[in-house]
Amino acid sequence: MSIQTYQQLLATTTGLLLLTAVLQVWGRSIVRAIGLLVLQGIALAGLVLTVGLYAGEDSAWVVAGLLLVVKAVIMPWAMLRSARLIGVTREHSSRVNAAVELIGAAGLTLLAYAVSGPILGNHSDLAAQAVPVGFSLVLLGFWQLLVRGSAITQLVGFLMLDNGIATISFLTFGGLPLVVELGATLDVLLVVLILGVLMVRMQAEQGHIDISELRELRD
Amino acid sequence: MIDSVVVVVVQLVLAVAVTPVLIGVMRTTRARLEGRFGGGVWQPWRDVRKLMAKEPTRAPGSTPVLTVAPILLMASSLVLCALIPLASTLALESVPGDLFVVVSVLLLGTVALALLGLESGTAFGGMGSSRHMVIAALVEPTVLLSIYALSVPAGTSALAAIVQARRADPASLLNPVSLLAIFALVVVVIAETGRLPVDNPSTHLELTMIHEAMILESGGRDLGWLELGSWLRLTALLGLVANLALPLGIGQDAAPLTLVVGIAAVTVKVLVLGAALAAAEVFIAKLRLFRVPELLAGSFVLAFLSVSASYLVF
Amino acid sequence: MTPLALAFNLVDAGLLAQLLLGALAVVAAVTVPARLRNVLSGSLISVAGVAAAVTGTAALLGAVGTGLRIPVALPLAAPFEPLLLAPDRLGGLFMALAGAVVALAALFGIGYAHGPAASRTGWTAFAVFALGMQLVPAAADAITFLLAWELMAGGSTVLLLADHASRGQVRRATIWYAVMTHLSFLFLLAGFGVLAAATGGTSWATMAGGAVAAPVATLAFVLLLAGLATKAGLLPVHVWLPRAHPEAPSHMSAAMSAAMVKMGVYGVLLLTLRLLPDGPRWWAIVLIALGAGSALYGILQASVQADLKKLLAYSTTENVGLITTAIGVGLLLRSSSQFAVAGVALVAALLLAVSHAAFKSVLFLGAGSVLHATGERDLDLLGGLAARMPWTSVSFGVGALGAAALPVTSGFVAEWALLQSLIHVDARADRLLAIVIPITMGVVALTVGLGLLTFVKAYGIGFLARPRTPAAAGAHEAGPAMRAALVLGAVLVVGLGLVPGPLSQALAGAISAGGVSTTGGAGLLLEAADAVLNPVALTLLTLAILVPLVALNGVLARRHPRRDVELAWGCGGERTSPRMEYNATSYSEPLVRVFRSSLQARQLVDVVHHEDAPLLVEQMTFTQETGDVIEDRLYLPATRWAGRLGDLARTVQNGSIHRYVGFSFAALVLVLVLVALR
Repeated sequence: MSIQTYQQLLATTTGLLLLTAVLQVWGRSIVRAIGLLVLQGIALAGLVLTVGLYAGEDSAWVVAGLLLVVKAVIMPWAMLRSARLIGVTREHSSRVNAAVELIGAAGLTLLAYAVSGPILGNHSDLAAQAVPVGFSLVLLGFWQLLVRGSAITQLVGFLMLDNGIATISFLTFGGLPLVVELGATLDVLLVVLILGVLMVRMQAEQGHIDISELRELRD
Repeated sequence: MIDSVVVVVVQLVLAVAVTPVLIGVMRTTRARLEGRFGGGVWQPWRDVRKLMAKEPTRAPGSTPVLTVAPILLMASSLVLCALIPLASTLALESVPGDLFVVVSVLLLGTVALALLGLESGTAFGGMGSSRHMVIAALVEPTVLLSIYALSVPAGTSALAAIVQARRADPASLLNPVSLLAIFALVVVVIAETGRLPVDNPSTHLELTMIHEAMILESGGRDLGWLELGSWLRLTALLGLVANLALPLGIGQDAAPLTLVVGIAAVTVKVLVLGAALAAAEVFIAKLRLFRVPELLAGSFVLAFLSVSASYLVF
Repeated sequence: MTPLALAFNLVDAGLLAQLLLGALAVVAAVTVPARLRNVLSGSLISVAGVAAAVTGTAALLGAVGTGLRIPVALPLAAPFEPLLLAPDRLGGLFMALAGAVVALAALFGIGYAHGPAASRTGWTAFAVFALGMQLVPAAADAITFLLAWELMAGGSTVLLLADHASRGQVRRATIWYAVMTHLSFLFLLAGFGVLAAATGGTSWATMAGGAVAAPVATLAFVLLLAGLATKAGLLPVHVWLPRAHPEAPSHMSAAMSAAMVKMGVYGVLLLTLRLLPDGPRWWAIVLIALGAGSALYGILQASVQADLKKLLAYSTTENVGLITTAIGVGLLLRSSSQFAVAGVALVAALLLAVSHAAFKSVLFLGAGSVLHATGERDLDLLGGLAARMPWTSVSFGVGALGAAALPVTSGFVAEWALLQSLIHVDARADRLLAIVIPITMGVVALTVGLGLLTFVKAYGIGFLARPRTPAAAGAHEAGPAMRAALVLGAVLVVGLGLVPGPLSQALAGAISAGGVSTTGGAGLLLEAADAVLNPVALTLLTLAILVPLVALNGVLARRHPRRDVELAWGCGGERTSPRMEYNATSYSEPLVRVFRSSLQARQLVDVVHHEDAPLLVEQMTFTQETGDVIEDRLYLPATRWAGRLGDLARTVQNGSIHRYVGFSFAALVLVLVLVALR
């Protein structure tokens, strides 16, 4: 792969990642959120493939394929299924209004760009220059967790967080050992499945899936 | 070696012979000062003879401690007389009369007596034993500190060497440090042998008994050994204090003449000291038990001062 | 190393034998059926203990091992340096001490262990504990030391829990013990870490050889002393001792009290004589202060206890305090260049350690025998055991004699050496010495006096007089294994006291002190103090006096034999019950009054009057509680404060998941910003 193709593909995939992350913050539709997640998964897989192939590792196909299957197919499908079961399609419980959310998201993205420079030091590696995207994914995922109340959007935020961490690791180190990546991915999958079940129970018990009403987790 | 054995034998015989006389003198002094006649100087000797010829008793449930403790007390008192330089400072080579060893042997006798008190299984025995041990515990610091004060100038804790050093340097006898230490030692002797004001040797009242309570159950031969053993302790300790305070007349070897002079000197000193003690007893009352620690603390302070003074001042 | 070469190196062979026997003991404990478990496990551990004793003695007398290296490979972790076992002379001494105590305790355990203590867990824990304790002095670098230390702590904690199902205090005692043991481990870890970082290595040789700056040395000293003082049971971190030692099974209590606390003493000696010698004077003063305080407080508490095992536990605090005081005096004298007398003080410390190991094991094993026979630990409910348990009572009596430092036991020799070192200090030119030494002397003297009272009480109330309860009246003598252990221990107590010369010479070699030699057979000659102690000669003198006396008594006895009577005299025929005897609480009541302010005893007298005649008393109940003043004044407020802080922290938890996520978010942003700004 030539340097220009590499640069182009890198820019595309990371740009797509950032776009989908920012768009998450905007809407209130659950289905849309899950759709954006699918796109994010595809972008991530593309990123992994690009970086891997450029580095000359053939296992990149396996890893990318794995990521694609899990993050773009299985997890969104599971989440959609749970959402349909519960009958929730729109997010009603947000703790702050849309304007504040958007401004916060913008601020966090700026912060991500500000800190990633000093943190990474002087990595002249091309891939490393796209790391701020990973940081912003992490921070935006956290932001979602913080400001949204519905269990499904919480899950979306968590998955975005995970995507962000994966992005950072692939961009700086060329990926993690297959074993670790497998383990982490399986972990997250498990979380999604379990939470899917939990959400159904929540709906049955209290009639909604707003987690701000759950306050028993203390001494 | 033979010389020192001779000295030991002489000291033992001397002690056993002088002891009843000492007690007799003390009791007679006290009696005469109190306006009584008293039983005479030989009464203690007559008492011991009488006791040795009587049958001791044994109550059900007693242990061998009943038989062993009186003999152990007597033996410890005799060992004291062997180790303390009474007539001569010629010590046994392998067992120099080290002050700490002397104190430990003294404590062995104390413990034997305490165990005897507990053995009897009566409330009196336990009470006497408890008070006796509390006093022994509280007098320990004074004992060891006065030994300390006396050992420092001589550079050793061997009694013979200390007495010799003091004899060689009469000025040291009047040293304030030395006087304080001797005074503390006198309080120790009073506490250890159960004399007024710590304990009344002639009382049998429950509230005031200490020594008497422990030997209340013993009779006959046992009591004979106990009495003689306790009196021997008094003789040995008075002999020690007398020879430390005034080492005049004590011999340095085992020559017959020096031994005779030594025997005479220590007999006179012990009898005079005993009479003085008895005379003082007429004028003081027994302290109640919970005031005794104050007395012992006072003597401890004196001993402590004498030690500190010997370092910081002299 | 070829097997042949091994055979000629006693120390290495001994170490390997211990490891092997320890492993075998664990296997035996797990696989053998219950019938044979006691005998097999106990014998294996006992033999391992004997092996340790032999190896340790060889190391003490100068045999040098080639340094046994045990490679340790833990999967998936960073590669460890191999564990290094190479005891020097001092380590050899403590290894011999630990081995001998373990041998006695395991032998006793064969007959004693019952119920949970005889289970697989119980014997495995004891085997692990014994192995750890024997290897602590053999360690030649910090990692091995800490590993063996943890083995020791872990094994003892598990065995301590043996009886937890039947008694609640066991659980509480174990919590105290576990917390304080691990605190001590943390301090040790920190201290060794500081030293290792400063000198660049973890082996003793590297740490001793490196030059350490004064502040670093002080930090290391403070940390290590905190850890070691906790293990040794010094004030004010002694509070676990009187809780844990009584609750453990008796053979374990003996091992813990007689040997485990000595590992703390070994650590102090290692620290002050080898790793950081030539420390400033105030280190010695700290040691003296801690030691004197522990000694006095320990024996004071011991003298008012009615629980026999608690009494013995507090007495351990006292003895360890005395040992630490002696070490402190030795170090102080070294810093004043009085090396000869300093050597005497240090030899006295080692003598105290050895004699304490001997008599404390006998005492605890005797208490175990009593507990086994009567089910009681409370002296107020015992009595009259001498007639029913002759072997136990004689052995306990000998142990008590040693504890009270009376002739001719090893305790007496140790006390004598300590006092000799104190009076031969030349304090004329040195103000500090002139103040410290007399105070130390006073404290040691008071300790000795109170110790006398304590052990007369323990022996007299428990074993003499008449039984106060049916449990005591129904006591039976211990089994053969227990008897053997008791008698061996008693023989050691007296035997070590009869040969002070060779013993002290060996001990002086452990710390490279001179001026100690043997004279007149087995007597001890302290050249620096110009003092001679010959217990054998003293015994002969006593026998020479005793034999004619006994003969005379015998003659008189034949002429006037002893008469048996029905009632004791007691001033008119004693018709009262044995409950009217003095018991342990009443024995020490004068002391409680005299030391009122230090003991803070709470006394309650409850009077019940007759229904029909209110002026007549039907029943009176007297209750006395002596708590631990340090625990009440120091630890309880501290734990209350910690609780309050925890409550404060709890208000942050309000249950909202968003808040918790917010905390993580804030933390992440903070970290990112901080790292970016650096």
